[in-house]
Amino acid sequence: MGRSADGQVTRRRSGGPVGLSLGCGLGSPGPLVSARGDGNNRRVEREGDVEDVGLQHIQSIARPTTADEAWRLRTADPESTRFLGGGIDLVLYTPETVTTLIDVSRLGRAGVASGRNGFAIGAGTTLSAILEAPEIASYAGGFLADALRHVASPLQRNVATIGGAVARAHPWSDVVLALLVLDANVEIFDGAARSVAVADFYASRSQNVAPLVTGIRLPLRTPSTRGAFEKFGRTGFDVGLLNCACVAEVAKGICRGVRVAAGGTPSLARRLPEVEEVLEGKRLSSEAIANAATLAARGVDARDDRRASESYRRTLTEVGVRRCLERLADGGAEGTR
Amino acid sequence: MTSLELTINGERRVVHAAPGDTLLEVLRREGYVGVKKGCGSGDCGACTVLLDGRAVNACLVLAAKAEKRTILTIEGLADGGALHPIQEAFLDEGAVQCGYCTPGMVLSAYDLLSRNSAPSEGEIREAISGNLCRCTGYVKQVRAIHAAAERMRSGRNE
Repeated sequence: MGRSADGQVTRRRSGGPVGLSLGCGLGSPGPLVSARGDGNNRRVEREGDVEDVGLQHIQSIARPTTADEAWRLRTADPESTRFLGGGIDLVLYTPETVTTLIDVSRLGRAGVASGRNGFAIGAGTTLSAILEAPEIASYAGGFLADALRHVASPLQRNVATIGGAVARAHPWSDVVLALLVLDANVEIFDGAARSVAVADFYASRSQNVAPLVTGIRLPLRTPSTRGAFEKFGRTGFDVGLLNCACVAEVAKGICRGVRVAAGGTPSLARRLPEVEEVLEGKRLSSEAIANAATLAARGVDARDDRRASESYRRTLTEVGVRRCLERLADGGAEGTR
Repeated sequence: MTSLELTINGERRVVHAAPGDTLLEVLRREGYVGVKKGCGSGDCGACTVLLDGRAVNACLVLAAKAEKRTILTIEGLADGGALHPIQEAFLDEGAVQCGYCTPGMVLSAYDLLSRNSAPSEGEIREAISGNLCRCTGYVKQVRAIHAAAERMRSGRNE
């Protein structure tokens, strides 16, 4: 099994892809021969190559108290610094060039706050704290809490932060997928504070140093909002071979504001606009659901990797979208976990 | 090496750690060997401890992140010579074989029962889903956690 907080660690080095995926190696393109933690000097052997990927190079942990200070520390030396949230991914793999971790937990932004326009969630809020928050239990018909229960295990959800999950953005991320279909915004700081839609955040993230994620904003949803999340993995909390989610307002059987997306394709979650369009304003009949699921299988950006084939991912998409839409028709949320 | 102030099993401790040390490494070095080292990558749950009351994989937590926080290891669960009801229930139900996963299972159960005094079987299974047992399966652990919940609710420790 491979489950860091929101998946695992992969790495691409110059000269070709060398994936590191501690745990069971599910996320990596090459077979993991052994991964052995020995003190803080973790050593990974893959196809004859041995490299140290532990934390033995870390010399200091900075503890800034403002986003501005954190950003200045990060940009002053991008190669040798990383932001430290819950820390799971960094414990599993930190590049050997990194000598300073910038702990962003003291920026004072943890917790779920409700306002007139929805919810503001601090980047340092753990996934457990979010899914256990009373206001989140009923948000979007319980969709977000249900989706977060699909992430790794409780042991990791008690440590992993939403800011870390969004910043790290593993392709199989359940968190990114859920936020995408909820029309969430990511609050970032890259010299100035900004709020951007989830999809735009990833589309624009080509700069040298990715922005500091300081929070998530969830829009208000009507009581008729329903959502469903489906994840396919080898075990209960493995990273997904494919995951998909649907959110819509369903009133008198008619869907509006439909969002359908799939992730781990093996790319990061993306919406399926042709599926959304065909469902918009329609009744969730069994024919409409079957038609949408077929369209989803056709339209999904499925590709082969060592974990699943393209055709299997298309089949998973069809089954997953169908199950999600059937649950939406039945009232939503309460998935397979 | 830097000094870290941790409260471990109710005792305030100042320990020395490198900036990259994990909580697992520090705890075992300090003699809390009930915190087992299994996979070292968050897969098995043998290193489970409570950090500010919540069960975590100690192998995935940087020790520096635990500074000035409260840690409970399996060594701190019994009250003197009296086992905790969860420990008693694990014994009574035979939910132990080689014992390597047991501290983690017990502490995951402790986290669950501290927030939910009457969990369903599904909630119990979810709570221990990060703790692997390679000897027995999970039926007896689930039964033990049910029994512990009952005992804790009724205030009895048979």
